Amino acid sequence: MSKLRFVLNGKPVETEAADNARLLDVLRDTLGLTGTKEGCGVGECGACTVIVDGIAVDSCLYPALRANGKSVTTIEGLSKDGRLDRLQQAVLDHHALQCGFCTPGFIMSAKALLDQNPHPTREEVKVAIAGNLCRCTGYEQLIEAVLDAAGRE
Amino acid sequence: MRKFTFLTPNSLSEALLLLREHAGRIKPLAGGTDLMVELRDGDEKLDSMDYALDLTVLPELRAITLENGNVSIGAMATHNDVAASPLVRSAAAMLAEASASVGAQQIRNAATIGGNVCNAAVAADTLSPLAALDARVTLLSVSGTRELPLSAFILGAGKTALKPDELLAKITFIPLSGWQSRFVKLGRRKALAISRMNASVALRFEHGVIAEARVAPGCVFATPRRVSSAEALLIGQVPSLTLFEACGKAVSDEMVAVTGVRWSTEYKYPALAAIVRRALCEAAGLAEAEA
Repeated sequence: MSKLRFVLNGKPVETEAADNARLLDVLRDTLGLTGTKEGCGVGECGACTVIVDGIAVDSCLYPALRANGKSVTTIEGLSKDGRLDRLQQAVLDHHALQCGFCTPGFIMSAKALLDQNPHPTREEVKVAIAGNLCRCTGYEQLIEAVLDAAGRE
Repeated sequence: MRKFTFLTPNSLSEALLLLREHAGRIKPLAGGTDLMVELRDGDEKLDSMDYALDLTVLPELRAITLENGNVSIGAMATHNDVAASPLVRSAAAMLAEASASVGAQQIRNAATIGGNVCNAAVAADTLSPLAALDARVTLLSVSGTRELPLSAFILGAGKTALKPDELLAKITFIPLSGWQSRFVKLGRRKALAISRMNASVALRFEHGVIAEARVAPGCVFATPRRVSSAEALLIGQVPSLTLFEACGKAVSDEMVAVTGVRWSTEYKYPALAAIVRRALCEAAGLAEAEA
């Protein structure tokens, strides 16, 4: 086990992690933040997407100790004072989920996009979420939700 | 998950010392998009691995610069770094396009060009543009620096000339300024698909005539390389669909000459010829009519 210090959803966190732990393991098992999902575990589905220092990464491929000194945002970090983030609200408004398993990953990919590019084109949205798989709802409602959220600043 | 000790070097020289000290039992950890999966799967080729050496903490390995007239891409530059680099886009558009086609956003944010080269997968997206660029690799160890052409570095599928105590530091090439280049990939779908086959081409025109040409198919040979017989067809010619079709077929002929006729040849021969033709048409700004 090694020390792991990083900023999680805006708050400093100090914990320990096994040298071979993935960031996903630390978030879910050590810190109890189960909003981040494990889908495929090999970087194909995007359900585990989190934002590290402003960029979207698959937390199943991200060594936990690499997060030392970094700022990590998970789906739990989006709502403020009980109010949903505009992306979360837009996903609800556009009925862009059914089972919901892929939703946190999608929202984190979309958030990384909007943080860097507040007014993306439809094509840019598609590229940003291409690493996230959905097996029940499909993608059209999600694309609409992201474009709508972008207009809601 | 395989057990290992995670090492965070404070400097490049410390990283090289750690590689020497633990040679054979240590693996450089770049983006992790391949290695983390292999560790999770308990891949037996990692049975001797006790240490992972984190390279993301060494920013000097990530720079993309112009050095003495050469483009230098740090091995730890991510695919998104390469795809977004104005230098790479102007000096080697086909390489930027290849990096932009890797995986999806999350993968391109982590995976590195150095990892792509060192894994030496036959299907690696950046190998055909790097072959077309006659790229060279710079290898560091505590004993010193070695520079090799890419063709001498990649020895076969998954095999490289990297010694156990060496680190790939950068990839360099002469910029193809004023050339038109293009990367075309055939995958099962647009995102998160490895190349089934791909093609990198670069053309330099003089008064509407092709003065120089580079043609390198990807996923076709065990080691990436240019096809000189296909390039020779282009030199001194004016772009035309007929010419580019002939060039595509020359690349497919070379594939058959090298790898022999296989069960897949009936599919691969016309498919490879078509992506080479498409890449040439796009590079030359020629409309690709139905063949």
